[in-house]
Amino acid sequence: MGCDLVTVSTDTQFVHLAWQRDEKELANVKYPMGADPTGKLARMFGVYDENTGLALRGTFIINPEGTLFNADFNWYNIGRNIDELLRKFKANVYVGRKTNEVCPSKWKDDGDKTLVNPGAKMVGKVHEALQG
Amino acid sequence: MSECCGGVKLGQKVPDFEFTTYEPTKGEFGKFSLAEQVKNKRWTILFFYPADFTFV
Repeated sequence: MGCDLVTVSTDTQFVHLAWQRDEKELANVKYPMGADPTGKLARMFGVYDENTGLALRGTFIINPEGTLFNADFNWYNIGRNIDELLRKFKANVYVGRKTNEVCPSKWKDDGDKTLVNPGAKMVGKVHEALQG
Repeated sequence: MSECCGGVKLGQKVPDFEFTTYEPTKGEFGKFSLAEQVKNKRWTILFFYPADFTFV
């Protein structure tokens, strides 16, 4: 499933170029680094901090039709878990394909236990459904 | 700061947006737009962060 990761900060593209070229930690960056110096995009997604002019650590998963399916936010001082982001992305792709299934919290990848047709019959039986 | 999620909502279409990028694989500047992603039927992960010298 084709997906593009793009990062965005309120830096300009010139700043991205300079940092990526000179900072060893960024040497392996392959994804496009987006420039949002006016904060327009950050405001649109509610991650713009008016006090600092910076974007908070917000992550958004948008499907191929342009619909938003995942949004999460961290304050400045907590990093994100990339495994969890990948899990949520894979789960979104999975349930997009299998619309009668849902991915529970322990779901990690295709083949893991899902709940099928969650509805009235599953009330009080979720534990059994997760074991079965 | 504004309320959570600004103008976008889960389960709803995101209004089109476009911004300039730096493309490390090419060493050039480029453009990224949601309309282009939809046209090419591709998923998008938008990953905001405060500044280039911070962690993810």
